[in-house]
Amino acid sequence: MSEKIVISPTSRQEGHAELVMEVDDEGIVTKGRYFSITPVRGLEKIVTGKAPETAPVITQRICGVCPIPHTLASVEAMDDSLDIEVPKAGRQLRELILAAHHVNSHAIHQFLIAADFVPENLMAAAINSVSEVRKTAQYVVDMVGGEGIHPSEIRIGGMADNISELARKKLYARLKQLKPKLDEHVDLIIGLVADKGLPEGLGVHNQPTLATHQIYGDRNEFDLERFTEIMPESWYDDPEVAKRACSTIPLYDGVNVEVGPRARAVEYKGFNERGVVAQHVARALEQKTALSRAITILDELDTSAPARADFDITGTNKLGVGAIEGPRGMDVHMAQVANGKTQFYSALVPTTWNIPTMGPATEGFHHEFGPHVIRAYDPCLSCATHVMVVDDEDRSIIKNEMVRL
Amino acid sequence: MVLGTYKEIVSARATDKEIQNVSQDGGIVTGLLAYALDEKIIEGAVVAGPGEEFWKPEPMVAMTADEIIAAAGTKYTFSPNVMMLKKAVRQYGIEKLGTVAIPCQTMGIRKTQSYPFGVRFLADKIKLLVGIYCMENFPFASLQTFISEKMGIDPTLVEKMDIGKGKFWVYTQDDVFNIPLKETHGYEQDGCNVCLDYTCELADLATGSVGSPDGWSTVITRTEDGNSIFQQAVETGVFETKDMANVKPGLDLLEKLAAQKKDKNQKTIDKRKEMGLPVPY
Repeated sequence: MSEKIVISPTSRQEGHAELVMEVDDEGIVTKGRYFSITPVRGLEKIVTGKAPETAPVITQRICGVCPIPHTLASVEAMDDSLDIEVPKAGRQLRELILAAHHVNSHAIHQFLIAADFVPENLMAAAINSVSEVRKTAQYVVDMVGGEGIHPSEIRIGGMADNISELARKKLYARLKQLKPKLDEHVDLIIGLVADKGLPEGLGVHNQPTLATHQIYGDRNEFDLERFTEIMPESWYDDPEVAKRACSTIPLYDGVNVEVGPRARAVEYKGFNERGVVAQHVARALEQKTALSRAITILDELDTSAPARADFDITGTNKLGVGAIEGPRGMDVHMAQVANGKTQFYSALVPTTWNIPTMGPATEGFHHEFGPHVIRAYDPCLSCATHVMVVDDEDRSIIKNEMVRL
Repeated sequence: MVLGTYKEIVSARATDKEIQNVSQDGGIVTGLLAYALDEKIIEGAVVAGPGEEFWKPEPMVAMTADEIIAAAGTKYTFSPNVMMLKKAVRQYGIEKLGTVAIPCQTMGIRKTQSYPFGVRFLADKIKLLVGIYCMENFPFASLQTFISEKMGIDPTLVEKMDIGKGKFWVYTQDDVFNIPLKETHGYEQDGCNVCLDYTCELADLATGSVGSPDGWSTVITRTEDGNSIFQQAVETGVFETKDMANVKPGLDLLEKLAAQKKDKNQKTIDKRKEMGLPVPY
């Protein structure tokens, strides 16, 4: 006799999603389905037909949690479509801002999972630690990107401006100061996750991982030929779920994958742990990797070098790809520009990749652990939604007449 | 009070000959920002620097006293300095910022400090706001029109511009020209006609030539910070001062002009209100 446990919406994540678990008599999950119920945004349609410079400005508004990766993926896609060679300083500044964003965004997630892992007597210390890490990391994003949330300085062709020597020295000094603090913070998080004593094997799945770079992202590592996308109704075997799911299902080599910090660690650092604990550990360790990279860039940056290339926006309708490793995983934007206007735009975002993998990852354990499995992916739904609900009454997205955005 | 709130009013000029040579009057703005930079009270300042077009200033971030001095002198058209403040505290990494502004810009800056929409983390970084007296300001095209058409001078030959004694003055290398100020009326930007602030009442410290003899400026210190920075600069000999009571034409003229601007523009405001037209504040 199987029972259905529904968590709607799943909490302490960005956006709205539902977790539907079929459980047996002992409460063990036999079938998990996770799907987005966030209303569609339609930003890709908004930027179509407009000047290419519009795309990064609009698509960064996909989300306030990871606007940096979206902006970067957008300009990278445009750079590629317009065949622009970004100057070295521009590339360095872009990577710097993303590295700082990784440190910051992972810290936000650590705040979100604090209620799961941090005992009451350590709560204040853990939150202070998160705040301190974020403060310095966001200072870098503010300085380099012009604005901490929706950066105005990341432009097609590079960055609007290089930073001053004064800014470089300040950022370098502050990140150096942050290093021992971050090491301590990472130890704290990893220790707390271990202390929780989650069951061995929780969240383990056999799906492959997908990542294009250790920190930044590399379009050459993403093979469009190996990518396919299917509609939710042909993925979810529960028709109730299938008709309400708002995201398409992306597959790589025909299978669903995992993206994010653990995927990057597996692909580039020889990490071979799996499951919930491994995801938290990989995320925390990645903060250290990102900080070291940011410090190295600041050490090497030539503040007098040009940060932006001149370019012509006419375009040849080449399909440009921007692949950026966002905190939650690989974020791919694709753009075609011709006659000075964006002809086609599509964003293939981190959590979309993870959604089909997350539900089944809850299987084999008590349903009470379901939310732990979901949160370990740090899901961020608002950008993942690409299908529109057309019937508000029964909230269905009608088969074969789906409005794909 | 017609001059706004203030701590002290004195007549002053910079003692540095290099500043005296390039400054409009007493070199107060240049001298004070350069002093604040040298003393590390500020790390940089947004000033009206030279632009690509002659006499059309561009806001720039000055991080050395030399750069401040290079931007000395009044430009009688707008330099959108406020626009540059955010960049100064971001890409330039300045955490203690100085700037120079006319009254309308000062109001804008104070407003961004109270309501920091779109300018996060800027409010607390503005350490020194030097205001300059302003009766009205001219769009660049207006300035060009009355210099080249009304005065018949090639704008590229102009070495200095000035307003004083009821006239608009233009200095070239060999000559001095002037037209009565009333000839320039109608060329000012529209907003100037509803502005009630002549002496930059919201600045940390405000300055301008009116009330002091040629080559000197009248300095009004308004805030604790503005007053103490100015006093320190006087004590270290950056400025020499005279009591306002002992200088001609004296404070009366400044008060008269400030009151004139308020009276005249209040009438415009009342008239606009009567007609149902918007008034910006």
